[in-house]
Amino acid sequence: MPTIIIDGRHIECRERISVLQAALDAGLNIPHYCYHPGLSIVASCRLCLMEMKMAHPQTGELGWAPKLMPSCQTPVKEGMEVRFNSEMVASNQRHVMEYLLLNHPLDCPVCDQAGECMLQDYALKFGRATSRMVEPKHWNAKKDIGPHTLSYQDRCILCGRCVRFCREVAGTGELCVVNRGYRNEIDVFPGLPLTNELQGNVVDICPVGAMLDKKFLMSQRVWFLESAESVCPMCSRGCTIRVDHNRRRVWRLKPRFNPQVNGWWMCDRGRFCSGLIYDDRRLRQPAMRRDGSRVPLDWKDVASMVRARFEEAGKLEGGKQMGIVVSPFMSCEEAWLLTSFIRQVAPNAMFAVLPSPVRGEDEIFPTGSPRERAKFVISAEKAPNRRGVEKACLQAGGRHSSYEDLLAEMAGGRIKTAWIAAGSPESSGPSELIKAAGRLDYLVVQDYLGGVLSGAANLVLPMCAWTEREGSFMNEGGLVQRFQRAVPPPQGLMQDGQYLFEIAGRRGVFNAGRVRQMMAESGMAEFQAVHEAPVGPVHAH
Amino acid sequence: MATFQPVLTRNYGVKDSHLLSVYREHGGYEALSKALAMGAENVVEEVKRAELRGRGGAGFPAGVKWGFLPPNRKVTYLCVNCDEAEPPTFKDRTLVEKDPHQLIEGILITGYATRTTAAYIYMRAEFHRQFHVMQRAVDEAYAANLIGPNIMGSDFKMDIYIHRGAGAYVCGEETGLMESIEGRRGWPRIKPPFPAVEGLFGKPTVVNNVETLCCVKHIIEEGADWFLGIGPKGSKGPKLFAVSGPVRRPGVYEAAMDITCRDLVFGEDFAQGLTEGEELKGVLPGGISMGILGGDELDCKLDFDDVRRYRLLGLGTGAAVVVPKRTDIRTVLLNVARFFAHESCGQCTQCREGTGWMAKIASRIASGAGRIEDLDLLVEISNSMGMMPGMNICGLSDGAGWVVRSVVEKFRGELEEKIKAQPAGAAERALRQINPAYYEGAARVSAR
Repeated sequence: MPTIIIDGRHIECRERISVLQAALDAGLNIPHYCYHPGLSIVASCRLCLMEMKMAHPQTGELGWAPKLMPSCQTPVKEGMEVRFNSEMVASNQRHVMEYLLLNHPLDCPVCDQAGECMLQDYALKFGRATSRMVEPKHWNAKKDIGPHTLSYQDRCILCGRCVRFCREVAGTGELCVVNRGYRNEIDVFPGLPLTNELQGNVVDICPVGAMLDKKFLMSQRVWFLESAESVCPMCSRGCTIRVDHNRRRVWRLKPRFNPQVNGWWMCDRGRFCSGLIYDDRRLRQPAMRRDGSRVPLDWKDVASMVRARFEEAGKLEGGKQMGIVVSPFMSCEEAWLLTSFIRQVAPNAMFAVLPSPVRGEDEIFPTGSPRERAKFVISAEKAPNRRGVEKACLQAGGRHSSYEDLLAEMAGGRIKTAWIAAGSPESSGPSELIKAAGRLDYLVVQDYLGGVLSGAANLVLPMCAWTEREGSFMNEGGLVQRFQRAVPPPQGLMQDGQYLFEIAGRRGVFNAGRVRQMMAESGMAEFQAVHEAPVGPVHAH
Repeated sequence: MATFQPVLTRNYGVKDSHLLSVYREHGGYEALSKALAMGAENVVEEVKRAELRGRGGAGFPAGVKWGFLPPNRKVTYLCVNCDEAEPPTFKDRTLVEKDPHQLIEGILITGYATRTTAAYIYMRAEFHRQFHVMQRAVDEAYAANLIGPNIMGSDFKMDIYIHRGAGAYVCGEETGLMESIEGRRGWPRIKPPFPAVEGLFGKPTVVNNVETLCCVKHIIEEGADWFLGIGPKGSKGPKLFAVSGPVRRPGVYEAAMDITCRDLVFGEDFAQGLTEGEELKGVLPGGISMGILGGDELDCKLDFDDVRRYRLLGLGTGAAVVVPKRTDIRTVLLNVARFFAHESCGQCTQCREGTGWMAKIASRIASGAGRIEDLDLLVEISNSMGMMPGMNICGLSDGAGWVVRSVVEKFRGELEEKIKAQPAGAAERALRQINPAYYEGAARVSAR
C-alpha cells in the first residue's frame, strides 16, 4: 500500500487509485463534480485541482510545480506530496464556484435537490458570497427527457456524469452534450428519449438539481426525510438500498454503495416500486371463513386459534397430512419461525418453497456486454429471498419436497391441512394452488394482495410490505442483508414476524436480530454476522 | 535577409502548380525516393538534427515528438492538422491550394519515418476549394503509385484520407481533432495518455501541422545542415507569415524567423506598411490567441523564444493582424472575447464560463457602459483560466485568457480613457436596464 503526503499528512492508501480518491478515503473534503468512482475520468470540472511536488525539469530539484494538477486524474505514487490547503488551490476553487453559479438560476427554494446539493455545499465552503456578473444569465430550457426523468438545463453544471453513465454503465448512450461553450447543455437526440432501465441513477449521480425524478418532484424537502437501511425486494439480486420516508410514508428509494451486489446503482423497477406499498388490493386485516362468509378476526385471537388447529392436525401421524408452502417473498426470519414451529408440532409435515416468478432472462448492463464485464445485473427471478427461505426451511425441517410433489399430494387429497404463503406484491397467490386447495379441510393463506386464493382460505393472514417489517433477505449470490422497518404497517395490520412469533408460542416483541441469533445458534452461521455486512453508509452521496 | 530564398512557397507562382506533372517538373517526389533510400531511422535522425519545431503554434520539436512513439508498435497513424481555425491565419490554406503535392510528399516521408499505415488530413470545414484541390492531388498520387501499396516500388505502404471538419475551432487541438475523426464530439482528451502512445482509435499517433510536414520534405531534400543555416538559434528553417488588416500588401510571406514584426508589416518585401491615411495601433502577431503587441513593441523578433519577452504566449501560427489607430480598442477586445466565447468547447468550467463572461463584459464595455473595475475583473478572469498555461485540459483556455489580458494590460490607458469619456452615469443606467434585478440587489448589498 503506497503512502502519500496530503497537506503534510502521511496517508496510506489503496493501490491504483487517484489522489482525489485517496484524499476522500482519508476523510478530506475535497470538492469535485465530474469525478465519480463508478465512471470514467474526464477531469473537466477543474475543481479538484491540487498542487504537486515535482522534479524541476532542468535541475531535478523537488519543488511545488507552478501549475495546478487535477487530483482525480493523477494516480497515487509512493512518496508523492500534494497539497490542497494552499492559496493557489483555494483561489481556483473560489473561481470555479463563481463560474458555476454565473448562469445558474439560484432557484434553490423550488429545487428538489436543495439540501443534498453539492453546488450549495461547495458554494458555502469554497465559493464567494456574491456574484460579480452584472449581465443577465444565460438560460437553458427545462426538458422532459424520459419516462422518469426531467432535465432542468438551467441548473446544469456540465459535469457530464449522466452522459457517461448512459454510455458506460447503461450502455445505451441516449444522453449527449449539445452546443458549445457556455451554451452547452445535456440533451437527448430528437425522438430518442432516455429509455434505459437504469435512468433513475442519473438523478442520483447528478450533483446538482439538473436531473430530477418525476415521481419525487416537488413532493418532499429532503431535509425532512429519514432513511432506513433496506434491500430491494424486486428481484433476487437484492440491491442494497435505503428507504427515504417521512410522516409514515415512503417517498423514494435510493441505492447504497455495495461493491458485492449493485455498486452505486439500482434499476428503475426497484426504484419506483414503492407504489406497490399503497396498492388498494392489499389485504387489510386477518379474517376467517365462517358459514361461507368472511368474518374479520381480532389479532389477539389469531395466535391461539392457529396454534390449536395445527397442534391438533399434528397429532395425526405426526402431521403427515399437513402441507406447508413457504414464500420467497418472506424474510429468512419469518420462514424460519414458521417452519420451525410446524416442524415442532408436526414432524412429518410436507414442506415446499413456492417458485419465484421469472420474467425473461437476466438483464446485463452495459447492454449487450458479456456477463463477466457486467457493471449491473437485473435478475430474471423476481423474488428477493428464495435462497434464504430454502435455507431456513432445510435448517428447521431437515428436508423439503418439491413444489410439484406437494401440489400433487394436495390434489390427490392426501393433504388435509395446509399453510400457503404467497406474498407477491404484484399478484395474489398463484392459480394452480386454488384447484389443489379445493380438497383441503383447513387452509391458512398468508398473502399480500387479496384474490381468489385468499378468498378460498379458512384463515387469511395479511402480509406487510417489506418497508413495514424488519428482517433479512439472502440474495442469489448467498449474501444475507438485513432491512430495517421504515414505516409502520397500515392500520389493522401486524408485522408478519410478530404474528409468526406469537403463533410459534414465543412471548414478547418480535426482533429480527434476536431471531437471527437463534437461527445462528441452530446452525446457520451466515446469520451471525449480518449486522457487520459490508454495506455502505445510509447517506451515500 | 537578402540571402533568404523562399522554399515552401517557391512554386506558388508556377502555373498549375497543383498538378502532379507540374510538381514533378520542379523536382517533385525526389525527396521521397531519397528518404526511401535513407531508411526510416536516418530520416528521423535527420529531422531531429534539423531542430524542426512544429509550425502549428506550440513549436514542439517534430523529431522529438516522433521519438515518443513506442518502439514495438504495430499500427501508427498520422494526423495532418489542416484545421487552421486560428483567426487571421491562412498560411496552410495556400500550401494546400498552391502546392498540394509538397504536402503529400511531406506526409509520405513522415509516414515512412514513423512507420505510419494511414494518414488523415483533417481539413477545416470552410476549405471547400482546398478540399477539391487536395482530393484531386491525392487521387493523382494514388494513380501514380505514390500512395497505396508498394510506394515507388518499395515495400512501404500507406493510405491518405481527407477528413473534413464541421467548423469548430477546438478541433484544431490535436486530441479534439482525433475525437472528431473518430466521429465524436470534438472535446480534447485528458493527457496522459499522450497521442504518441494512445491516439487515434487508441493507436500510437503523430499529429503534425501542414507546414511542419512541408518542411520535412525540404529537410530531406536539402539536408539538415541547410535547414540549420536558416534563422536564429532555436527557431530554424523557413516559416510562413500571414499579414492581414489595413496594409498595402496583405498576404502570405515566407521568411526566416529572424525578422521583426516591424519588418513584416512595413518591409518592402512584405506588407509594405499601412494603407493611405492609416496609422498603426498594435499588431496581433501570432494568431489572436498569442496576445497583442503595442505600437512601441514592433521590434519583437518573430521566433519561438523572443516573443515571450514581449509577454506573448508564443509565436503561434505567425499570422499577424494589424490594428489601425482608428479602430477602437474596445472593439478589438470584444472581437477576441466573443470569438473564444463562441468557440470554447465547454468541457472545463473556467473556459466555458470564463469566456462567456468575458464576452459579456467586453460587449458592455464596447457599448459604452463600461466600468473601470471591469478591467480588473477581466484580468482576474483571464488569470483564473490559466494562471500558468496548461491548467485546463487543452490550450484554448490559456489562449482565450491570454489575449484578453494582453489587450487590457497593454492598452489599459486607452480603455480607461474611453470608459471615463462615457457620459456620466452611463454604466449605471445600462446596468439598471440590462439587469434590473441584479442592480437592485447589488445596491442593497452595498447599502448594508
